[in-house]
Amino acid sequence: MEEGSIRFIDPKTAIFGRTEGGFLKLHIEPDEDYSRVSLHYIFPFTAGNGYVSVRNYDSKEIGIIRSMDCFSETAKELLREELQRRYFTPVIQRIVSIKEEFGYFYWEVITDAGSKKFTLRREHHSIISITEKRILIIDVDGNRFEISDCSKMEPKFVKVLEMLL
Amino acid sequence: MKLLYELPDEVDCLIKQIIKTRPVLYCVPADLDYSGTYIDGWLVITSFHMVYVVNGRLIEQISISEGKDYKSSVMVGNGMLEGTINGSAKLIVRYTMEHAERYTHIAAALNQLSVAKEPAVKSLEYDNRCPECNRMYPAGTRACPACSGTLFVFKRLFSIVKPHGILLIAAIILFWAVTGIQLFIPYLYRRFIDDCLIPGRTDVLLIVVYVGGIAACNLLIMFISIIRDRFMIKAGNRISRDLRHMVYEKIQMLSLSYLDNKKTGELMNRVTGDTERIRNFIQTQSVMTINQVFSLIGISIVLFLSNWRLAILILIPAPFVLFLSTSLRHRIRRMYHQQWRSMDKTNSLLRDILSGIRVVKAFGQEQKEVNRFKTASRELTDITIRNEKAWNTIFPSLGFIMGLGNFLLLYFGSNMVLDQQMKVGELIQFTQYAGMVYGPLNWMGFIPRWLAEAFTSTERVFQIIQEKIDIKDKNDAVISKINGRISFKNVTFGYRNYEPVLKDITIDINPGEMIGLVGRSGAGKSTLINLIMRLYDVDDGNLTIDGVDIKDMSQDDLRTQIGVVLQETFLFSGTILENIKYSKPAATFDDVIRAAKIANAHNFILNFPYGYDTKVGEKGLTLSGGERQRIAIARAILHDPRILILDEATASLDTETEQQIQEALGRLIEGRTTIAIAHRLSTLKNAGRLFVIEQGGLAESGTHEELLKKKGIYYDLIMAQRQMARLR
Repeated sequence: MEEGSIRFIDPKTAIFGRTEGGFLKLHIEPDEDYSRVSLHYIFPFTAGNGYVSVRNYDSKEIGIIRSMDCFSETAKELLREELQRRYFTPVIQRIVSIKEEFGYFYWEVITDAGSKKFTLRREHHSIISITEKRILIIDVDGNRFEISDCSKMEPKFVKVLEMLL
Repeated sequence: MKLLYELPDEVDCLIKQIIKTRPVLYCVPADLDYSGTYIDGWLVITSFHMVYVVNGRLIEQISISEGKDYKSSVMVGNGMLEGTINGSAKLIVRYTMEHAERYTHIAAALNQLSVAKEPAVKSLEYDNRCPECNRMYPAGTRACPACSGTLFVFKRLFSIVKPHGILLIAAIILFWAVTGIQLFIPYLYRRFIDDCLIPGRTDVLLIVVYVGGIAACNLLIMFISIIRDRFMIKAGNRISRDLRHMVYEKIQMLSLSYLDNKKTGELMNRVTGDTERIRNFIQTQSVMTINQVFSLIGISIVLFLSNWRLAILILIPAPFVLFLSTSLRHRIRRMYHQQWRSMDKTNSLLRDILSGIRVVKAFGQEQKEVNRFKTASRELTDITIRNEKAWNTIFPSLGFIMGLGNFLLLYFGSNMVLDQQMKVGELIQFTQYAGMVYGPLNWMGFIPRWLAEAFTSTERVFQIIQEKIDIKDKNDAVISKINGRISFKNVTFGYRNYEPVLKDITIDINPGEMIGLVGRSGAGKSTLINLIMRLYDVDDGNLTIDGVDIKDMSQDDLRTQIGVVLQETFLFSGTILENIKYSKPAATFDDVIRAAKIANAHNFILNFPYGYDTKVGEKGLTLSGGERQRIAIARAILHDPRILILDEATASLDTETEQQIQEALGRLIEGRTTIAIAHRLSTLKNAGRLFVIEQGGLAESGTHEELLKKKGIYYDLIMAQRQMARLR
């Protein structure tokens, strides 16, 4: 391929599937086979579900998915699943409590992946605002959580969020 | 780090049914399912099997030997354990990031088990949470502030305070003396008003006695306070001096394997910041707290004894005021945090744009940047105005609320005076005591935070003081003059016990021989040298110098006979003379000049206006890499070591400088056992033999010519470098 040229994955010729061991595989017609591929967001915050780089096991780029919308429902589901696996970021639906003790914030939340307790350091850049309302929280271990709309949280927790931002 | 968790009972029963008698070697949480839901999952490992259990149900059992290449892959926000089972890649379990590091150990253990080896994987890392309550340990400590408790801090602090206890006890007694006198003064006022200020009575002597008494009390308070503060300053500073010495001494004694894991800034903070915080806690906060508590008790007793009804009136608003001031403090902290953040944002924007002003202008983005700054600056202004307004409202209001008890006291007290149940002096005495109650109450709001800070600092400091020294001299350590024969016999070593960096190395180096170590970066060359210097102890095999095991030699003795010239030469702040003499402080001027001449350093040193007295290092002249290296060579020459280690000594220099350094090195290595590492292979031509290290093992050895003829790894490396040189 020429330097600087982009190869977009064509939804018509690309067939995604799962291996027996649980990994994503790719066949591109007529004769390209990849026994294991991984997906990387190119613009995780700005392009939503578009622009996904498909890479082989050695992390070389096979091509780019410009938009997932053009893929079949089954393929879309597979891609979504794989991206969720790589970028595991449960969305916080409700904050149960935030307690501050000895320099740490202890959170108890209910997310779309189940309820979870996690910890944030007090003086640390552990919250990133993606847009005005949407924020990303990274805990002491590196787990990530998302709040899609801060203003929908209880006011007392919004105050804590404001302080941590 | 915990690798063998205790299983919940029902899971434990299930596991016992499945694996019967096999002992469980490892057991770790696998708390995420394949579709990304939090679960109560466990991965249990025995010598032959791994068992994956979720919510008390068996999901999968895999025979470990059927798989290979087990790996812990960390993704974004989660990780997975994978392996090649019966020839195909398989996702075994998923986990949250809390367990990510645990699984690197688990994968290593599985790889050992898959080739039927007893796993030697032990985790040297510590968990960052308290196993009892799951709270995080404060950064850099290994004790839980909640579970270990306040008593724990005081116990530790007591051991440091003990030698200076008399000074502190004296200070506390003087504190009480001051409090006692302070409590006595309102009484004098009362007597003064009631006994002297009676219309129609003019007893000048009595007035002089009372006024003089009050003045004398104040004078006494002043003198006692001065003496008390001197005691406290003395005790506090001696304690922090002791701590600093203890920590610093320990750091010097600890092995590199410990220090490698710590950042310089963190260690510095422990020597200075933490010890200072402890001093402040002992000298000011704890002593003052003891004093304030006693004043409060004293005042309360006096108040209740004199008039319990009025005493209650004074104390009624206390809980309310305490609650109010605590919650306001939180709010103020939040307000100022926001302001600080906004300020930080504006400043970094400014710094960014000013340092990148060329780029801004080149792309014609001036207006955009002006707007960006204006927005940030406007936000800062808004927040600051809002905070100042709030501050200016809150503080006077708080003052007023705190004085509420006084109004009640005045109202009821004056009624009592008019009813002749009380004298005017008594009322005045009461109002004075009332003013003294709120000081200690306010003070107490800060105690939890001070305790937490003191806890963390004490823990951090003690962790170093109590650290075990892992490389120790034996009691009967041999002191001997080294001749220079170095032998590695089946030496295996790894910085982590399951990741050997050097594997089964057997090498003999003759006295006075020059050896070149060759290999790709990360092959284990520097590790080999670290072992010779005994910065680490070998895990397996023997390393001897002149036939004596290096573990039997005294470290001091060994290191005084080894000289090192490193790639990144470090010069301490000081003069060139001091830096050259560092290895041999007793050297004469003649020795220094001779060493500098041999090192080809004499001439460039004399070009500086202050010659050998030129200051270098942090606040001094910046020397070029080549100059620094020649000073390091002079230092090594003066040191006159039996064994010389050159680590990348001629990397990144121009040809002329390199030639001068080569010349200097040539003189330096004469008659010494020398081990040199260089990426530029041409610099190793003088070496008697070359050892090619590949993936931790000895791959080839021989002279330059022999290895070229062999056309092996060394030949390939030489060819690759020649090609690179041609390309340049």
